[in-house]
Amino acid sequence: MGQDTLGAQGVVLMRHVPALGIAREDWVLAGLLLATVVVVSLLTPAFLQPENLLEMSRFFVETGLIALAMAPVIITGGIDLSVGSIVGLSVVVMGLAWRLGHLPPALGVLTGLFTGLLCGLGNGLCVARLRLPPLIVTLATMALYRGLALGLGANAPVSDFPPAYYELGQAYYTIPGGLQVPQQLPILLLVLCFAWLALHRSVLGRYVYAIGHNERAAWFAGVPVARVKMALYAFCGLVSGLAGAIYLSRVATAKADAGTLMELDVITVCVLGGVSITGGRGGVAGTMLGLLIVSSLVRGLTLARVPSEDQKIVLGFVLLLAATVYQLLQWRGGRSGPSGSRSSGDERRIPTAEGE
Amino acid sequence: MPPTGTPEGTASAAKITVLMVPKLKGIDYFNACERGAREAAEALGNVELIFDGPVEDKADAQNQLIDGYIAQQVHVIAVSPNDPDSIAPVLKKARDRGIHVITWDADANPERSGREFFINQASAEAVGQALVDEMAAQKGPEARVAIVTSSLTAANQNAWIKAMKAHMAAKYPRMTLVCEPKPSEENQQLAFQVAQDLLKTYRDLDGVFAISSVAFPGAADAVQQAKLSGKVAVVGLATPKPMKQWVDAGTVKTVILWNPVDLGYATIQAARALVDGQLAPGTRTLAAGRLGNLTVVGDQVLLGPPMKFTAENIAQYDF
Repeated sequence: MGQDTLGAQGVVLMRHVPALGIAREDWVLAGLLLATVVVVSLLTPAFLQPENLLEMSRFFVETGLIALAMAPVIITGGIDLSVGSIVGLSVVVMGLAWRLGHLPPALGVLTGLFTGLLCGLGNGLCVARLRLPPLIVTLATMALYRGLALGLGANAPVSDFPPAYYELGQAYYTIPGGLQVPQQLPILLLVLCFAWLALHRSVLGRYVYAIGHNERAAWFAGVPVARVKMALYAFCGLVSGLAGAIYLSRVATAKADAGTLMELDVITVCVLGGVSITGGRGGVAGTMLGLLIVSSLVRGLTLARVPSEDQKIVLGFVLLLAATVYQLLQWRGGRSGPSGSRSSGDERRIPTAEGE
Repeated sequence: MPPTGTPEGTASAAKITVLMVPKLKGIDYFNACERGAREAAEALGNVELIFDGPVEDKADAQNQLIDGYIAQQVHVIAVSPNDPDSIAPVLKKARDRGIHVITWDADANPERSGREFFINQASAEAVGQALVDEMAAQKGPEARVAIVTSSLTAANQNAWIKAMKAHMAAKYPRMTLVCEPKPSEENQQLAFQVAQDLLKTYRDLDGVFAISSVAFPGAADAVQQAKLSGKVAVVGLATPKPMKQWVDAGTVKTVILWNPVDLGYATIQAARALVDGQLAPGTRTLAAGRLGNLTVVGDQVLLGPPMKFTAENIAQYDF
């Protein structure tokens, strides 16, 4: 593949992800979200109350933040399994910083962010510079970072934080109308804007898709593959540190088991949101829709008193349903050819070529 | 239909909804708790019980679950917290919304969570006394004994050891601890070795207290393999089902634990009484249906003396 092809591919990409970074799959997701909301509201009227929806956001901000950083990683064909462990390690470091240094909240959060960034850089170094497979690297660092967290946090959890530490995860802004908006929600919106600009409105974003579609071609075309990957994994770590800070504030405790199994929640959200695990596909809008669908399902079914184990079954079916719909869309896209839909056959063939 | 032992008027009171949250759903111990809770809800007739908890070992799962139920106005939240501190904010929030909060099986940080009562399945004193009395019954008041504990920093075990020593000093002054308590961590193999070493070092040892669910089988195994069953008594705390093989073999005569079915039953009784105002600060006794009157000390409801599982009854229990 020469530079020419990539150039064409780039143009196609921009067509495939039109005006707002909203792809065809996203309309399917929007429909799925609507269906979810209708079903759970029928089961329990309490679900649609604004207070409930805002309260729900307190619990999805952490997962949502990391999903926004994970999506670009997966789009490049990578994965980061260590995010839950990074949350745990950041939380423990913040706890230690408080216990040993009595840092004010802002500085305490900085230690968490810094920890997350370091962890992310470590992943990036192995994936981008040493060219090790991301699955293996982050499987290893998942164990490594969790082990560090358990080791450092062995001397009992820290929970004697001053009240100022609880702002980030437990305080609310009151908006006109008397509604209470959790303080962490605007943070998610900020990161959402940033991720959207970076992925759908910048050269970096185009590099990300180019790498995901065909890494070798991207490299020949002059895309700084290693630097892009480094940046993505570092960002993923940084955001996991941020999620850790919010988590610590929300549960008022720094304990080494923070973020356990969180990587699975994050990957679920991304994959449900149409981010293709084989790379090259997905976007910010879909990821957020995936987050809203999972959260609404869990919250709504809890409100409807559906036992936890049955919720898992429903979630599993929804995920399978989404995966099936994506596959059908891809087949159709592949057959319909350039004149069929907005997204041309050219663009469809590239990601599926490896899968077939 | 007013159940026996419950004051008049309770049954006619409006139906309440109680959310009961175990540490983990689907394991034998908590299934037994749920059975007792359902029994109490049925006996009372005016309690709707929701028994739901985490299905995976995830730090945050209880918080999220409880927060969801706060929004739908349950009357009482009864939780066995995985962590006493990280559960506190969500319990505090429930209290602020006027929902009653009690803990059972394990306690939450009382100040920070604002929980009203802890249904305590066994006070340290009761456990300590039951262990020592059982040893005295098997080996006499002058027995020479040793303790195998979990880790030297385990809060529960240390409280029990303290109570055991106090009870020995008061009631069996001639019972001797041959050495300080030996740690076995959470490692059955280590417990086995520690017990083996004790048997070798102290040839005249009469009994071993093994006071964790890991130490107990380890110590029993060591005594059995040394062919000292019957000569050296093993007394300890564990759930009965895993101990059944040593009870059947005669190495262990008695397994001491509380009855989780009763714990669940008492929790629902307490929840109902709390809403009705019959359980309030200053209350001394709680009428708890078939369990009779339970003692209330401060903000703790005591389930009563621990239960003994022996060769006669151990087969009946599935936890």
